[in-house]
Amino acid sequence: MKRDAGFVLSAIFLIVIFVLVAFGSLIAPYSATEFSPSSSLLPPQFPFIFGTDEFGRDVFSRILSGASFTLLPALAAAALGVSLGTITGLVAGYLGGRGDEIIMRLMDVLLSFPALILAMLIVVMLGGNVVNVVLAIGVVFWPRSARLVRSAAMDIALSEFIDAARARGESTLYILIRELLPNLWAFIIVDFALRCSYGILLTASLSYLGIGVHPPTPAWGLMVKDAQQYIQFAPWLVFFPCLAIALISICTVLFGEYIRRQLATPTRIARA
Amino acid sequence: MSQQATLTVEHLSVSYDAGDTPLRAVRDVSFSIAPGEAYGLIGESGSGKTTVAFAMMNYLRGGRIEGGRILLQGQPIQDLPKSELRQIRGNKVAMVYQDPMSSLNPGIRVGEQIAEALRYHGIADRAGARARAVRLLADVNLPDPEAMVDRYPHQLSGGQQQRIVIAMALACEPDLVIMDEPTTGLDVTTEAVILDLIRELRHKINASILFISHNIAVVAKVCDRVGVLYAGELVEEGRVAEVIRRPKHPYTVGLVASMPSGTDRSQRLASIKGSLPDLTKVPQGCIFADRCLISRDVCLAERPPAIEVGPAHISRCLFPDEAQDVIQKAEARVVAPARAAGPAETVMHIDDLKLWYTRRRGLRVWHKPQPVRAVNGVTLDIEAGRTLAVVGESGSGKSTLARCVVGLVPPTGGAIEFHGERLGGRARQRGVKTRQRIQIIFQNPESALNPQRTVGEIIARPLKLYNCVEPSRIDERVAELMKAVNLPARYASRYPHQLSGGEKQRVSIARVLGTEPDLIICDEPTSALDISVQAAVLNALSDLQARHGLSYMFISHDLGVVRYISDRVAVMYLGVVVETGPTEAVFKAPHHPYTESLVAALPDLSGNGEKPEVRLQGTPPSPTARIKGCVFASRCPRKVGAICETTPPPVQNLADGRKLACHIPVDELARLQGAVPAVAVG
Repeated sequence: MKRDAGFVLSAIFLIVIFVLVAFGSLIAPYSATEFSPSSSLLPPQFPFIFGTDEFGRDVFSRILSGASFTLLPALAAAALGVSLGTITGLVAGYLGGRGDEIIMRLMDVLLSFPALILAMLIVVMLGGNVVNVVLAIGVVFWPRSARLVRSAAMDIALSEFIDAARARGESTLYILIRELLPNLWAFIIVDFALRCSYGILLTASLSYLGIGVHPPTPAWGLMVKDAQQYIQFAPWLVFFPCLAIALISICTVLFGEYIRRQLATPTRIARA
Repeated sequence: MSQQATLTVEHLSVSYDAGDTPLRAVRDVSFSIAPGEAYGLIGESGSGKTTVAFAMMNYLRGGRIEGGRILLQGQPIQDLPKSELRQIRGNKVAMVYQDPMSSLNPGIRVGEQIAEALRYHGIADRAGARARAVRLLADVNLPDPEAMVDRYPHQLSGGQQQRIVIAMALACEPDLVIMDEPTTGLDVTTEAVILDLIRELRHKINASILFISHNIAVVAKVCDRVGVLYAGELVEEGRVAEVIRRPKHPYTVGLVASMPSGTDRSQRLASIKGSLPDLTKVPQGCIFADRCLISRDVCLAERPPAIEVGPAHISRCLFPDEAQDVIQKAEARVVAPARAAGPAETVMHIDDLKLWYTRRRGLRVWHKPQPVRAVNGVTLDIEAGRTLAVVGESGSGKSTLARCVVGLVPPTGGAIEFHGERLGGRARQRGVKTRQRIQIIFQNPESALNPQRTVGEIIARPLKLYNCVEPSRIDERVAELMKAVNLPARYASRYPHQLSGGEKQRVSIARVLGTEPDLIICDEPTSALDISVQAAVLNALSDLQARHGLSYMFISHDLGVVRYISDRVAVMYLGVVVETGPTEAVFKAPHHPYTESLVAALPDLSGNGEKPEVRLQGTPPSPTARIKGCVFASRCPRKVGAICETTPPPVQNLADGRKLACHIPVDELARLQGAVPAVAVG
């Protein structure tokens, strides 16, 4: 199998990100929150390679320290949404008929809200803290994952090995978990990767709107929000957090795509 | 052949890129087709027959012509620029594909699809093209061609669609028509009609035909000469009758002997052991040597030359006169199973079983839909240690019947009794013991095994579920079962995708054997397999029946297979059993008119003696239609009159244990089918 450049780059980048999440605030050369009025609004230069903001805080350090505030909620929300979606989709896809109809129409209700509006609604309702942000984004992702898993499960439920299991008299739980689920991992993992990148965008959007996180937390979305008033004379303040968000989203998607291809290989051989 | 050949293929080699080493799919294949001749190319899956077909059109996606030449009327085609190739395609060389549904554009009227090629090649203008399309539809025997040109593909049956595709191919009066398995996806009776049509058209048109198929009997019906392709090499070539009667290559011998319709049922089918060689590493010697029962050291050293073994008969075998020995050698190793005689105990009694589906569409709650009567009152007995075959075409309800019996769908009416005990509708409502004793083997080996499980896990699962053996003995039992179906023990750790189709089907058999069942439902267990592999699976089933006293309910559309494997047969049409009886008796006249057309459609390898042929017209009525009289009345070539449509036919009992449901008295049927030549409805 040929290694493609996208995979190598995204894998390296993702490793870097994990290091950032774990040790970001340790690596950061300066404090993320301490003011330093003497060096405010400096353009990118040594030693402030991403410049400084209006309070003289080093943008590079803030991005490093802020990584975990953006990435961890996104990761947790993706895990929550995909888990809920997998369970719902699996059951709906296998049962079919009326059960499927009821479950999926409920999912459609959730789906009819625009993602950001629904997330905002939930956070505002439950109160603005990180746990609620995770919960809100998880609920946003739930119907989307459920749809994907359901359609894949419906496809596989038609296979004769499922009929064979039913004819043997296996319990529904056994069929769902031991026969169906192992054939869905490829879809679930790719979906998870995609949800991670959307999750990053959503957490960033929420923090940009000032929902869920509060200054001086160096969450990336919040940094963009605070910086936009300076965009004309200090564009680096907006540019670097945005770049971080974009790069991470792209890399997660590429990585997920690569995993999907790896996982898809055996089934493709089986069909040929 | 003094005339210039329509098509000459000289030393053609084609490769596909597959990773590091190219896959050499076709190697050094040469043949030629004279004007007006029909040349058959036989081969199993992976033999490269479709690659050859696409090479003729210079249309190899991902493939490369490595060597050799293809001459169309003396003109080499592989160097032609794209624009000239387009002129040839459709105009001089036309193609008929396997699946008519996917070769027709669903959004365009069929007449327009035919006319398009005529206009593109400048043969006719708009009005002329339409008139021509109507004439072509008449040529392919479609009823009411004027109305037919304005239909969309989905309004036609599979057989009608394939006729449209043939009409399209003939539109520009091509010199060569390539037919790639044109009847494989069709029902047997439809296949017979299409083959008749191809034979008839051969007299009307001047085109040469390259006919590609995996079925020797089909090739025997339409072709003059045949080439046998094995793993990308042409191993034998000659006149059809000659090659079938006196094959001179061990592979052809095996192929002919593995056809159930060519074999007496007391004999075993000759299967070909092993599997295709890896074509990324083509062996130096004879390509068939590793599977050949008469191969010697010389065979491994060098590729055998094409040896003239008779007039216009060529074989690539160093020992063409010994080729026939393959059968004796294959048979020497296995004992033919003895057939039980006399009355037997009834294992399962199916009584007036009904399965109606009702499908509600959308929100039309007040509209009461007509149910689909998939199985509509079936009564059958399955005897211990015997095989009951259920035959029928697609839509006859035979698979639904099988699913009902194993408890996958609960019946809407009637009863199933197993050893005198009435069974619950769903598998889960039946006792563990009952479930264990009724097992099912599915049609498609690709989808019957969970791709995420190893072979060992798959076979072990029923053992654990039913506590067939102590947990500590499971591995041992799995090994025993694998041995029983001739699978090497090392396969236990493999995943299904690492196995061939025949091996997968044997895993399915091993899985059901573990529970020591009384009754196995075989739902078309060989229809997805190659003929030589089919033979191995059928042999395995016969052996196991003889050894364990198993009863089978064998669902199939293939009468050849049914005749070989079954003791009794039930013929289904539209959810109803129209005839039952001992297999040999049912295959002898007189039959129910539907059975008659099925038997007539069975391609015959012997090739001698034209039997009176009955062909079915039209399509079965919609399964939601409420039929008052005989289900077969709308297509019956022997319909007597209004009574067939208004009154259900009486069941007539025959002396030899047969039952058939028909208004025509048996004596009358005998007279019709014996003395008077049948009305051939073409």
